[in-house]
Amino acid sequence: MCSKETLMSDGPVVAIEGLTKRFGDVTAVDTLSFTVERGQVYGLLGPNGAGKTTALRVLTGLEHPTAGGTRLFGTPVTPGCRELIRVGAMVEQAAFVPQLSGMTNLKLWWEAGGSRLRDADLDGALEVAGLGDAVHRKVKTYSQGMKQRLGFARALLSRPELLILDEPTNGLDPGEIREIRGLISRLTEHGATVLLSSHHLSEVEQTCTHVVVMNEGRLVADGTVSDLIGSAGSVYIEVDDRERAQVILREVPGVSGITTQGDGLVVDQTSGSRADLAAAIIGAGLQLETIMATQRLEDAFLDLLDATRTPPPGVSGAEPVGEVAS
Amino acid sequence: MIALVRTEFVKAAFRTRTLVIALMLVGLPTLIVVAIKTRGNRPGRGDNGEGLFRLAQQSGLLVPAAVLSIMSAFLLVVIAGLLAADSVAGDAAWGNLRYVLMRPVGRTRLLIAKAAVAAILIWACVFVVAVTALVAGLIAFGSHPLIVPALPGTGGSATAAGFQLAASTVLTRVAIATVYVAFGFTALIALGTFFSTLTDTPTGAIGATVGVYIVSEILDGITQLENLRYGLPTHYLDAWQPMFTQNVYPHDMIAGIVVQLAYLAVFGTAAALWFRRKDIRS
Repeated sequence: MCSKETLMSDGPVVAIEGLTKRFGDVTAVDTLSFTVERGQVYGLLGPNGAGKTTALRVLTGLEHPTAGGTRLFGTPVTPGCRELIRVGAMVEQAAFVPQLSGMTNLKLWWEAGGSRLRDADLDGALEVAGLGDAVHRKVKTYSQGMKQRLGFARALLSRPELLILDEPTNGLDPGEIREIRGLISRLTEHGATVLLSSHHLSEVEQTCTHVVVMNEGRLVADGTVSDLIGSAGSVYIEVDDRERAQVILREVPGVSGITTQGDGLVVDQTSGSRADLAAAIIGAGLQLETIMATQRLEDAFLDLLDATRTPPPGVSGAEPVGEVAS
Repeated sequence: MIALVRTEFVKAAFRTRTLVIALMLVGLPTLIVVAIKTRGNRPGRGDNGEGLFRLAQQSGLLVPAAVLSIMSAFLLVVIAGLLAADSVAGDAAWGNLRYVLMRPVGRTRLLIAKAAVAAILIWACVFVVAVTALVAGLIAFGSHPLIVPALPGTGGSATAAGFQLAASTVLTRVAIATVYVAFGFTALIALGTFFSTLTDTPTGAIGATVGVYIVSEILDGITQLENLRYGLPTHYLDAWQPMFTQNVYPHDMIAGIVVQLAYLAVFGTAAALWFRRKDIRS
């Protein structure tokens, strides 16, 4: 997807550095920081109003930060900055000029950026859109799903090194959602990096390697999906010597309780990761047969939100958890 | 920049409303000529006898000037307001603006391209009106020289001498008048583009733009405002008419050009500054 020269010369693909965005008295994003490295598929999770879309808008130069900033490929983002040529983005609903055809929309959008049409991956994008002859129809006759697919095609016209997708599967049927997942996988195999905001936790769990969780504008967690699932809940472990494993695991920092379940153990963690537990067991010379999270991303996500929700005035609440260890 | 202008032109021009506007701009001048030809000029029906419409019955060459004098007073103002005020706000209302700005496109360049397209389209509108009126006028009244009779002076004490204009002179002055009328929408384009950057609602921007012109016309009618009126965007819009009624090239046309350029500088700069700092929320 990108040349070796650009691969070697840049900093992180995305760097959000102490980003704060206020609208009047409302703080939409509050000192948000995280980085996305090349080849990672990053999920951006959070409830409505968490500040995800605002963060993505600042990252694409649509909005100005109140404080802090964002970088793309090591370069500070400003409106219309040159680095945007390396980014394909779909923020909120895909939108087009309704009275023009899908094809004309794609061509005009591409040429507006000063690029020559022959440099665009038009065939590849049209294949992704899968609209057939409908691509020559006026966009105002399209269903929401067709617009969304055309929007995806537009994001891919530049063979982007970074794909920013905000709720990309809205309006798509299950078959189309599966196609999009497959497409994201193929893109990352070719070196593209993806930053994906979604309400569909199962989608993030299946698609993303890393995840950032936001709540009320702030970062709640940042790490790998497996770490996030492991960190916020319980881990199921099967070993060759269950009794000895219990003794060893009680000494691991962050372990709050161990119970037996079937042939294995359920280890409750308040912090740390599955990797810490695995390292302790293997380090003690035990044979680790199974280690897996006992909860899904959805459980971890909801637990994190509960733990970090700002209590009403006069009610004491839990402090936000720190960054999840990777 | 050319590519940006081209893409904005396609977006603005290839719309159903463009077809409707084109039909109006061809139909209305034709209708006016037919009305004059069939019903003649009747005293007390909006033309005082010395106006462009009475003169236009002598020569079809003058019909474009007569038609422009009434169409530039309101219809072309509304069209210019529509084209300029819809330029940014319309794109924002579609949700398309954010996708354009997620390309390496400078906001000032985009704004200039949009304003340029609005200007190109309103110039095209004025020329369509003029050419249609000319063709219809020639068919109805022929291409004769223009004889302007002696006119009573102000207060009835003095009398302006009559004069005659050759056909070629009339045609040249009609061309100058057409360019001046088209250029007279410069301030409106600047105002409309400015309002368009303030809102994501095209109807609001269009209303504000046309509203400013209506207010300007009202203020211009209040003679007690004296010198203040000279700074209004509508004050010099009819400054070209003495070319046909008094056989002079009025200095007011120069003043009109200066006023238009001043509005372009002020509101064009304001629009660019605002748009560069604006958060695109649509």
